[in-house]
Amino acid sequence: MSLEQIADRVVETDVLVVGGGIAGCPAAIKAAEHGLEVTLAEKSKPERSGMASQGIDHCGEYPREGVTLLDLVGGWEGWQRVYNGDGRWFDPNVIYTYYENALWALEELEKLGIPMKWDDGKYYWMTGPSYKEARCMLRVHWQNVKPQMAAEVRKRGVNVLERVMVTDILTSNGQVVGATAIDTRSGDFIVIKAKAIVMTTGILARCYDPETPLFWKYKFRYHWCPASVSGDGWAMAYRAGAELVNMDITGWGFRTRDDLTISFGNLPLNEGIPAKVLNSAGEEIAGVRMSSASKYAKIEQEGTYPIYSSIEDLPDDYHKRIEVAYVDERIVSFKIAEDRGFNPRTHRYELMPNKPHNFQVPDGISVDEDFKASLKGLYSAGECATALGGCGVSSATGLIVGDRIHNFVSEAGEPVIDEAQVESQKQAALAPLSVKDGTEPMELESAIRYICHRYVGQLKSEGKLREGLRRLGSLRRVFLPQLIAKNPHYLMRCLEVRNIMDLAELHIQACLERKETRGNHIRLDYPDQDPSRDSMITYQRMEDGKPVLEIRKPPELKPEYAKEEK
Amino acid sequence: MPAKIEYKKCIGCGRCYDLCPLDVFAWDEEKEIPVVAYEYECWHCGICWMECPKRAIDITYPASFW
Repeated sequence: MSLEQIADRVVETDVLVVGGGIAGCPAAIKAAEHGLEVTLAEKSKPERSGMASQGIDHCGEYPREGVTLLDLVGGWEGWQRVYNGDGRWFDPNVIYTYYENALWALEELEKLGIPMKWDDGKYYWMTGPSYKEARCMLRVHWQNVKPQMAAEVRKRGVNVLERVMVTDILTSNGQVVGATAIDTRSGDFIVIKAKAIVMTTGILARCYDPETPLFWKYKFRYHWCPASVSGDGWAMAYRAGAELVNMDITGWGFRTRDDLTISFGNLPLNEGIPAKVLNSAGEEIAGVRMSSASKYAKIEQEGTYPIYSSIEDLPDDYHKRIEVAYVDERIVSFKIAEDRGFNPRTHRYELMPNKPHNFQVPDGISVDEDFKASLKGLYSAGECATALGGCGVSSATGLIVGDRIHNFVSEAGEPVIDEAQVESQKQAALAPLSVKDGTEPMELESAIRYICHRYVGQLKSEGKLREGLRRLGSLRRVFLPQLIAKNPHYLMRCLEVRNIMDLAELHIQACLERKETRGNHIRLDYPDQDPSRDSMITYQRMEDGKPVLEIRKPPELKPEYAKEEK
Repeated sequence: MPAKIEYKKCIGCGRCYDLCPLDVFAWDEEKEIPVVAYEYECWHCGICWMECPKRAIDITYPASFW
């Protein structure tokens, strides 16, 4: 059968950008500026999708004057050591490339009309305790950064495929030649022929329950990123043979019971807002803001639980600053506070102990300093790629990839697509549509999340991890073929669950192989740090249909970079 | 109930249906109005609420978030 017979639509493009978030939009913009044909596929609509969908109040990382690139790279690595313990956790050349181009990216964003300056026409550098040294972060009014970026994408003639979920990468002779996708509203099966793919689908959030526990039906209430980030890019890259890294590392976030804005925990750290932590007796306590369940349990035993974050005694000026942050980042916060009958200024925000809830900076698609993945023709930027995170770094790395990809595209040759590969991807993708009396995707997803929570979680051990892997395996065998999609919308959810399941398995396998305790990776059966795992990180890929797990050192900073005193 | 449409105020512009990151809304072709079709998937971001030109969408936290 010809491609036109298999697919409802065939799209041809030079570059396919998968994910129209804060990294994907800039990548598409820059690639189009170089005269390339660019297609941007987005599960939602780029005007309001991704990490910055509701807006964002800060954007970084920028060099401070008089600080060298090496200091900055060291600072970023040090920040990761706070969470993950001693050692190197990613290829430093990746973040070096970012810092080297950070100010260029800032200018590029300004050229796009993205507001980078504060009301007084100057840059507003945040000076909280996290930013005393090399790094610097901008406070920005970015409530409308996504509609602004999306308008620039459209202005440049990018072919925007809205409500389209890319499901799998097409390869030929170990090189990217395109992808298959579904239209989540019409159900169309789409083949996209492309010379290169830029993967910008963000992190994986949904293999754990969100920060705030949900005992009832609204299982998508993540407050860091929209729940649409189901690790699609990681899963399809892995299935196509690209290498993922650090899948044993989950993120730990600041958790409040009554969160109003994403940045609530960020404000004390970056803005220097002196929020206090109080116990239920109203006494100030230190060192528990972001700590583990055991510390919280101790306070509970002492009878002074729950504990709260409080901004109630701050001067008016601080409150005004916080309220502007809410406007920039999540304006609905005010309405929710009003509905719930609390005053955001005086409310005591109940804190909750750390738990894994998503994946963050070190993990993702393994890339080099050109943001090139191990699969030829595949690139990645933003949270989706290893070592990168946050809106500033994501938008900038999107710009860098978009600016350079024409070099690859000009030599890539015409993509030759294997119809049999398309056919098999189509069958796998559309299968849930023809299942009768099956399992709904949310039920299977909840089961996966429960396994990760119960058998991986914060306190890991061999027996728990093996049990989790066994249960996940039987869940896959029995229930994956039974997934039911009543319509194309639910088909998207089914395909997300397939991705979450693939990645949860990699996650547990990586945790099993890390037989040591280091940073937030706690193995009760291996309570000590294993020196043979110093700077040895976990890489996972698929080779000839078989999973390969390799523990090796990430590359060193290139000697020519290490020498420079920029 | 997360997002709730007040049909008296709704002008059928479709912004909520267009912009919801989680695709919670469907479109009633006949009546040319949005409908909350996938209520369970609402993540309470408030984008429908902030983008609605008529404030015809109310968004409230359900009991389980209290």
